[in-house]
Amino acid sequence: MDYAIETVALTKVFSDWWGRAKVYAVDDLNLQIRPNEVFGLLGPNGSGKTTTIKMLLGLLHPTKGHAVLLGGDGADPRINARVGFLPEESYLYRFLNARETLDFYGRLFGLDSKTREMRIEALLEMVGLKAVASRPVGTYSKGMARRIGLAQALINDPDLLILDEPTTGLDPIGTRQIKDLIIKLAERGKTVLLCSHLLADVEDVCDRIAILYGGKVQAHGRVGDLLKKTNKTQILTDAISDATVDRIRDVLRREHVECEISSPMERLETFFINTVVEAQQQATPTSGAVSTTQIGEFLTAGARGDDILNKLVVAPVSERPQAGSSRTDRPQPQEAAVTPEPNKDLLTKLTRSTASPAAEPVAPEKGKTVEVVPETTVQREQVKKNILDELTGKKQPDGSTVKPSDGPQEGGGHV
Amino acid sequence: MCRIWAVAKNTIRQALRMKVAVVFIVLLLVLLPVMGYTASGDGTLRGRLQTFVSYGLSLTSLLLSLLTIIVSIYSITSDIEYRQIYTVVTKPIRRYELILGKLLGVVVLDVALLTLFCGVVYGFIVLMPKFVNASEEELTQIQNEFFTARASLVPPLIDVSKEVDEVYAKLEANDQLEIAYPHSTPEEIRKYLTSRIRLEKRAAAVGGGLVWEFTNVRPSDPNHQSLFIRFKYDVSVTPPDEQVYGDWRIGDLRGLQTGTPVDTPVWRVPRKDPVRKFREIEVPASAVAKDGYLAVAYGNPPLNNTVVLFPVEDGLEVLYKADSFLGNYVRGALLILCRLVFLACLGVMAASFLSFPVAILFCLVIFVTGATSGGIIESFGYMGKNVSLVYRYTIEGIIHLLPQFDKFSPTQFLIPARLIPWSLIGKVVLVMVCLKAALLLALALIIFSFRELAKVVV
Repeated sequence: MDYAIETVALTKVFSDWWGRAKVYAVDDLNLQIRPNEVFGLLGPNGSGKTTTIKMLLGLLHPTKGHAVLLGGDGADPRINARVGFLPEESYLYRFLNARETLDFYGRLFGLDSKTREMRIEALLEMVGLKAVASRPVGTYSKGMARRIGLAQALINDPDLLILDEPTTGLDPIGTRQIKDLIIKLAERGKTVLLCSHLLADVEDVCDRIAILYGGKVQAHGRVGDLLKKTNKTQILTDAISDATVDRIRDVLRREHVECEISSPMERLETFFINTVVEAQQQATPTSGAVSTTQIGEFLTAGARGDDILNKLVVAPVSERPQAGSSRTDRPQPQEAAVTPEPNKDLLTKLTRSTASPAAEPVAPEKGKTVEVVPETTVQREQVKKNILDELTGKKQPDGSTVKPSDGPQEGGGHV
Repeated sequence: MCRIWAVAKNTIRQALRMKVAVVFIVLLLVLLPVMGYTASGDGTLRGRLQTFVSYGLSLTSLLLSLLTIIVSIYSITSDIEYRQIYTVVTKPIRRYELILGKLLGVVVLDVALLTLFCGVVYGFIVLMPKFVNASEEELTQIQNEFFTARASLVPPLIDVSKEVDEVYAKLEANDQLEIAYPHSTPEEIRKYLTSRIRLEKRAAAVGGGLVWEFTNVRPSDPNHQSLFIRFKYDVSVTPPDEQVYGDWRIGDLRGLQTGTPVDTPVWRVPRKDPVRKFREIEVPASAVAKDGYLAVAYGNPPLNNTVVLFPVEDGLEVLYKADSFLGNYVRGALLILCRLVFLACLGVMAASFLSFPVAILFCLVIFVTGATSGGIIESFGYMGKNVSLVYRYTIEGIIHLLPQFDKFSPTQFLIPARLIPWSLIGKVVLVMVCLKAALLLALALIIFSFRELAKVVV
């Protein structure tokens, strides 16, 4: 099988001035990342993640072993043309503005001026920096720089995207968007190598992961396989009366099952997004402070993210018509039940609420829904549906919402 | 090429927006007018112009040299230090394209700034006579001796090895070597004899004379131009008023020798001039024969009562207008550009493996050495024999590898209004750019292509 990324006994030893081995940054690393896979490289600080990426791209020479990227050498321009890379920090030219930055990188890819212009506009809109596109990127905040960094990694519509800690410095909405973007790209047949120590990011989007420590792989495999099911069942409902709770307790007691019932709190992420949306609604469209309009535009842009991606990937999609349907190796037990593009819904609603707060066309929930979720099974689509539903639920007058949670660490209601 | 140009454009933007270039530009734009106002020279209009062109071009050349060194080094080392290079070399660009792009950016910037500043200097030079109360005489003088490009003809060095051999053999046969030249090696004695005999050939005894013949004299417009005989007298006995007489004849003197008439005029110029000072005789260029032949004869009248000598190096030369001042000025700017291209390649080479401060230091040392290499090489001649041997085979070779900026400085041509021949430009392009700079660039490309860009050296 042709792997998108394959490393064979990849080793990097940093030696001191006298040539004596000092650190084994990467030690005999054998990775195999299949095409169209979202692979997470995890590990604590200094475990060799970034060194591995640098060796993949030819920025460092391996002490031993070799790496193959898309069937070639990572330093070969023909391979580089198909790779998008976001380094651990967005190392940008401070004196260029956002548009010039993207134009520069577009030229390095030899894109003609029409394609370049179209993609630059689409990407600026997608990362929400259109309003500040003529400011030097040296004046950007870390999160804004990160967004430009991401945009430059996408300008060539890469087949393989290498992201080194993409969400550092980003606000929750940006983080959310990057995760959604990764999933979208994967659905379009791209391969993504995600390198992070933020476990939530990885858990949400990765098909397979490898955990590095001391330059060696300590564990690897599918996320679903690595995280074993606990012997528990979680029931999530809308708010119910105490009488109903007592009846459930009775039923469970008869089954000799211990249970714990509580009302889960709203997730901070949801609260954050709601707060921002409310703030946007109150602000007049022209006078918005930089941060407010920025996020607003960013969200608005995100709603059209699909169009942008379509624009970016027109040619490749037609080349690979099987891209979407071939993704059968993903752990998606409830694929049929899940909305195909939940992100679009979420963002469309947010957009609409920004544009005309009076209209508020959020459909009320149809009765009480009870979903039974096997605990700790990782499902990306559900994560997205989760905030989507929570956001729409928040708009209801009685506002009682109990929704499936991602796992115990996020404070779900355990029944 | 698209990628190289993208990098070049980025480099220019960096130089301009990071204010590196701006500092130099502002400095020059302030200093040049100040100089134009304050330059006085020897008080004459010509002196003012000479001083200004000298200072103006030297300053432009010096500041642009420094700018070139700084920008070429900074644009590469900052990319590595601030790691923008991570996102650049992982794009489909070869590393050599990146280096060539940086170099192109620096050279384009140099060409633009050089054009600007040379234009400013030129503007001042052209306008200066209009704002100065100059007499007609002074205006004619600057037209003839400044706003022109004069070719120079120097009598060729005469081969005197036969005479030297004879004198040496005679001294040796008479056992007089040790008496005449105590504590000297045979080479030193020969060297001394050579210069002595050469000077003898340039000496006119009382009542005698000297003739120099030149061929291939091609003034651009013989009917309207002048020839200038530039000379310096030396004397064996200095006259009380430090002046000597001269009876000059200039023209096609072959007719005098063969007795046949010639169709070009022969000019006879009796003069009295101070000794050990440069003086010029102006005669119409129509004195040159159709085949480009010209003879200059000096007669030493008995009135002088002293032997008159013309020093071997600069005792006599013939000058004539061969090109316009502007053409010469442009060639002078080209000389500066060659120097800048060399420095850009040097900077790129240093930056390919050194960090910013070290690379700057390295380049400045080479720049200063290059600017004074003539003096350094000359100084080897004054060393003791043993010491100079050691130097000859070590440092001197290296210094010859270095550029010789001082030898190709445009001001030494423009101040005396000498023609900068295209052959000189060709030589500089060939040696300094095509050979030395290309060598440095090749070295830079090799080092940069193979180095680990992400390696952190602590």
